Formats: sequence, structure tokens, C-alpha cells
Amino acid sequence: MQSDVDKRFTRMQKATGLHLAMEAEETLQRLKEFPDNPEPMAYFYDLFHNLYKNGHTLPTDKKIIGTMCLQVPDELIYAAGAVPMRMCSGAYAYDQVGAEFMPAKSCPVVKATTGMLHVNQTLWGESVASVVVPTTCDQKKKCAEMLKDMGYPVYILEMPSAKDSDAARFYWQESVKKFALDLQQITGTKITSAKLQAVITDMAESSRLFRKLNDLRKAKTPLIFGKDIFLVTSAYFIDDLTSWQQAVRKLIEDLEERHKNDIAISNRQAPRLLLTGSPPIFPNLKVPILVEQAGGIIVADEVCSSNRLLYDTVAYDETNLNDMVPALADRYLKPCTCPCLTPNTDRNRKLEEMIKSHEVEGVVYQAFSGCLPYEMEQKQISNTLDEVGVPMLYLETDYSNEDLGQLSTRIEAFIESIKARRRKK
Amino acid sequence: MGNFRKAINHANISRFRLYLQAASFVLLIYGGYLAINIGDQLPTFGCIFSDLRGGSCYLYGFQHQMGSPWSSYLSGRGIGMLVGLLTFIGFFIVFNKAWCGFICPLGTIQDWLTGLRRKFGIRYSNYSEPVFQRLSKIKYILLALLILIPMAIGNSFFGLPKLDHDFGIPFCMICPGRTVFPLFSGDFSQLALDMSSITKMVFTTLGLLITGLFLAGSFIKKRFFCLFCPMSAFHYIFAKAALLRLSKDGSKCTRCGNCYRACDVGIRAIADDLDHKNIVKDDCMMCFKCVEMCPEEGCLEVKFLGLPIYESTEEGFFKRMQRLNNAK
Ligand code: SF4
Ligand code: SF4
Ligand code: SF4
Repeated sequence: MQSDVDKRFTRMQKATGLHLAMEAEETLQRLKEFPDNPEPMAYFYDLFHNLYKNGHTLPTDKKIIGTMCLQVPDELIYAAGAVPMRMCSGAYAYDQVGAEFMPAKSCPVVKATTGMLHVNQTLWGESVASVVVPTTCDQKKKCAEMLKDMGYPVYILEMPSAKDSDAARFYWQESVKKFALDLQQITGTKITSAKLQAVITDMAESSRLFRKLNDLRKAKTPLIFGKDIFLVTSAYFIDDLTSWQQAVRKLIEDLEERHKNDIAISNRQAPRLLLTGSPPIFPNLKVPILVEQAGGIIVADEVCSSNRLLYDTVAYDETNLNDMVPALADRYLKPCTCPCLTPNTDRNRKLEEMIKSHEVEGVVYQAFSGCLPYEMEQKQISNTLDEVGVPMLYLETDYSNEDLGQLSTRIEAFIESIKARRRKK
Repeated sequence: MGNFRKAINHANISRFRLYLQAASFVLLIYGGYLAINIGDQLPTFGCIFSDLRGGSCYLYGFQHQMGSPWSSYLSGRGIGMLVGLLTFIGFFIVFNKAWCGFICPLGTIQDWLTGLRRKFGIRYSNYSEPVFQRLSKIKYILLALLILIPMAIGNSFFGLPKLDHDFGIPFCMICPGRTVFPLFSGDFSQLALDMSSITKMVFTTLGLLITGLFLAGSFIKKRFFCLFCPMSAFHYIFAKAALLRLSKDGSKCTRCGNCYRACDVGIRAIADDLDHKNIVKDDCMMCFKCVEMCPEEGCLEVKFLGLPIYESTEEGFFKRMQRLNNAK
């Protein structure tokens, strides 16, 4: 006999599954509505369609190690014989679940992720060998405790809140070393230098491909919409590495072909924009879609679900674990531009450089309400952008569709103002 | 970018360096066999105590000359000193500190020891930044001493008695080059303690100790000795004027630290300094491993007379990492 609580839970599980499928379908529909989508994008549309169509299925039968932030060195997880899966969720349906037991003011990423793990626990329980939570923002730290209470095997990966000092760097290297050792316990597989080297090389291929996309987005002729890029990088959270790489290679070929024949994906005069701030994660691609429906094109981004996830590279000097593991640690800390770190001036410099390399004319700053670090860092970024003379649109938003009308009015006005600036020049 | 430039930027400089180091080693240690001698004012260690040398280090002659009385500086001797110094600078100016990364046999021996350690899979050790900064000053003290001590032979400082001639070449006495290089031509005499005077005994004992430290140190710490090398300090006085340069475009740097990881000497500024264009620091040996490891287009660049000859590229980086993996 199911108790009332259990019945309620099962009902919620079903309802959430349905909402999720609808939400995913709706987003996919809006993504596909754009004219002339590159054909290889179909892979990614299908991937998400299948993932959500009958409740949220796990993408693999292998042992999964969930990660709650890009700060977790995926290489170690692969080398230990498991599959990393980034758990950060962009689903409003999950956000609603989280809202039932979390403070209303918490950030939607944390709410949705916790909600997702809560509602799917009975379905996924066995397959998730561990959920790794780096001590980045305070909300994630507290969410880790909640997950622990739910009964998840939570692993706290200690991370410093600064990255410049030697002390911080060594502290992090030690954390990562410990993580490597503990992972072997969790998965029961030894991490060897040969395996790790192979994985590092394999993952470097992902960065190489991402950087290729990034380079193609520099072209004067717009070749691909940002909304598609965010779908591709959201897929990286969950997809099989090899399949993802194959699909991206096809996409790159297609874009190179377009480049050669000078085929633009959008209006050639479309204002070139950069998106920064809180991460757009499928299905929450609301802001990128609105921006590009309004006639802009996102040619660059500085978010942890895309550029920051895939841009950086591991460089090791000696092929033994003593050098490779700290090298991995450095890769995840040194170039990081997360606002959880202080100081975070590298973020400003990175934006400045991308504005130059991608000929960006305006910046869209997305901040999820509740995500204080991004909300607060807005000032620092807008000051820098003032200095280089690039306008910024600051949008505070969340996963719901309630603010669609208000957002699109502001976005349209912003895009018009960029066009007006051009005429004046 | 021309195909030629591209090919160079994708190249494995470290491999090229290995070959050039070996060739220079042969030239400087065995050049005498072939009656080659490129001079005695080299800005690198070829050693006067090694009979078969193909050239020798300027520090020997320099210390000798410093031992002359000050009055003689203005005579013909002074001209000789000036010519010596100018020859040294002339050699140095062309290649800058690449003398250390590509030519110096003492540097090469250290790299070979590192190679040996790697073969055994033994972990290396490193200094923390504050320790590095402190140790890095020692070479300037050694440089000052190798000038001041000989000076005190020919001259009296503050009315103190002049030093004995046994102090003539103080640095050579403690330099591992003096003890190690002759070994390669089968000459073991420099390993003996010189008991002819107390000064010499102390110096030769110290020399042996330092040799031991040199071998053990550079086995576990890459380029252990270079951090203390007075030649390197001497170099740095003229490095700003050199024709070969390593330059950095700070705006392109993500501070990822790849370059710092690769740097055998452990120069942190290579990653963290965003302001200086000319990025050759006093401890740098211009090996250009950092350039190989930097994934940002044109962020680090090697230039000769302002012309770019090798620069960091995204593609080059991924090619080299791929090669590193294939090599296993
Ligand atoms: S610093 Fe090293 S490489 Fe350079 S001269 Fe001294 S010992 Fe040789
Ligand atoms: S490798 Fe290049 S981008 Fe990275 S810190 Fe060094 S100079 Fe900067
Ligand atoms: S800074 Fe670069 S060139 Fe200089 S020693 Fe280090 S790796 Fe070599």
C-alpha cells in the first residue's frame, strides 16, 4: 500500500515529467522556428527531444558521477571509469519542484537542480554514484547539505574563493588530489597515468572543437545563432563525449562550407552581441531566443554553460600523475572567471578581449534573480564596458515565462539603440 | 599566415632545442679536437679547465682582469678589459638568454638529469613563490663577490690588507663546470682537493660540495643551479638591449597558467605579468616552452630584431599536446 505521501510524490513525479516534456518541446520548437537552421543541428534537437520525451531519462547505463559545477575535473571521473554528468538544470518544471522546499529567493539554477534530484531520486537513485559539489557559491554549498539529507552520496570538493595566491592554488591542488584518490574508492577503478593522459587528450579535442566554433563566430558574415551554440554546449553536460564530438565536427564542416560560400544565417547587419552572466541552460534559452528573434545575433558568450565550460585547456609537462593531476587542478582554477572568486578582474579582461576579437557591439548581461554574485558583479562589468564604449543591457530574469513580454520590449529597444548608434558613426 | 610561418608555429621547439643543446655541448666540450675555438669571452659555460673545449666562459678572464690594480685600468690593460667586455656583450646581445636555454652545457647537463628523473617517474620538487623570490637574489650576490674579491687582490679596500692570489678566480673554484666538464674528456684532476694552501683547500672543498649539490639538486628540481648562476645575473644587465626577445601581449592572456606550468625555472610572471611587453625575466633561459604551451593566438611571441619568428597559436598548442599523447 502506498502511503498518502508516496502517492503525492508519485503524482508530482508524473506531473513534473509532463511539464518538463512540454517545456522542452516548446523550447525546441522555438529553436527550430528560425529559418535555415544548419542541418547538423538536428542531432542536438533530437538529443533533447529523446532525453525528455518520456520523463527525464539518464543518458547512459554506466555509473554516473553528477557534477554541480564546471569546476569539477571531469577528466578524473572518466579516468576512474565513470561518466560525469553536469546536473545544473535549466528546467522551470524542476524549479517549481525546488520552490516547494527551498527559499523563494534562491537562485533558479540551484532550485531547479535540487528539485530535479529530489523528484527523480526514486528513478535514478542507484545509477548516481556520487554528486560532486564544489564549494563555489553559498547556495550550492547549502544545497549540498540538502542533497545529503535526501540520502544522496554527496562529495564536497573544497575550492578556494580566490585564485591568485600560492596558498589558494596549492589548497585547490590538494583538494583535487584528494578527489582523485576518493574517486577510486567510489568507482573501484584505479586512475592510471596512461588512462588520465588519454582522457585529457580526448577532452582537449572537445576544447579544440569548441574553439573552432568560437573562431567561426568571429566571421563578419554571421554563420550560426547563439541559441544553437547554447544548445550544443548544454548537450555537452550530458552527452557521450565521442558522439558529441562527432556531431560538433559535422556542425563545423557545415559552418565552414557556409563561410566559404558566404552564406549568412541572419541579416548581415544584425547587431553583434555578447551574452554574459548567469548561465543559459536548456530548456531555459529564453533570453538568447528573444535576443535573436529581435534581430540581434549572439556572436560570443562568457557564461559557465558555454565558453567557460569548454574554452580552457590542460597543459601538463610530464606524463605522470604527479604532474598531470595538479595540471588538471590548474586548468579548473587559474583561468576561471566565476564571480564566486575574488578578485575577478580576469572576467573584465576576457570580455574586453572578446569584444575586440568578435567585433561585439553590445553586451547582454543576464542575471537570475537570486544569483547574487552575478547581480553584484554587474557594476564592475558595466564600468569596464563604459570605458570601452560598448552599451550593456542588464536583464534580471528567472526560468518562468512571465516576464517574456517585458523582456522582449527591453531587448528590442536595446537592439534599436545599437542600430541608431551605428547610423551616428 | 604563410604556410611556412604556420609550420614553424606548429613545430616542437623543445625537440629542436634538445638537438641544438647536444650539438652545442659537443662543440663546447670537444671542439678542441677539431681545433675549433670560438673564443674565451662566451656568455655561457665552456670551461677553461677543460682541455678539449671549443670556447670558454667569460667569467674566468673577467675575474682575472678584476684582480689588476685600479691604476692599470686606465692603461693598455684597461683597453684589453674593455675589448673583452664588448666581445662578451656582442655574443650575448644576439641570442639574449637563449644562451642558457640552447647552448650552456651546464644547463644541458641539468636538462639531461631531469630527463633521467622523468624516465624513472620520480616526482619533481618546486619552490613556492616567496622562496623562489628569495633564492633568486643569490646570483646577484655571487656576481658582486666574483667582482669584489678579485678586486681586493690588486687593491686595498678601506686600508685593509690586499687578498692573497689564491682568491684570484673565486667563482671558478666553486663552479660545478670546473669539476664536471673535464670529466667528459677523462680528466678527473679537478675532483682532487688542493692542499697547497688553506684558501685553496677551502675553495676546492666547497667546489666539491657544490658539485654534489648541483647533481642532486638538478635531479629533483628542474634547472636547480640556474637560479643561483651569476652568469645569468651578468646576462640580465644587458638583456633589455638584446636582439632576440620574448614578448607578451597581456590583453590576450587568460592567465590560464599553462606557461608557468611548463616553465622549468618556475617563472610566475610569465603567466601573471600582464603589463610588460618584454617579458624576459632574470631567471628566464629563453627555452620557449611557455610559447609552446600557450593556447592563445599571438599572446607569447619570440622576436628577432622586431621580426616575429615563433608565436603561440591555438592550433600549434593542440597539435603539440596531441603529439605528446602519441609519444607515449
Ligand atoms: S643560468 Fe644556467 S644555463 Fe644560464 S649560464 Fe647559468 S648555468 Fe648556464
Ligand atoms: S599560457 Fe598564455 S594565456 Fe596562459 S597564462 Fe601563459 S601567457 Fe597567458
Ligand atoms: S619563461 Fe618561458 S622561455 Fe623563460 S625559462 Fe620559462 S618557459 Fe623558458
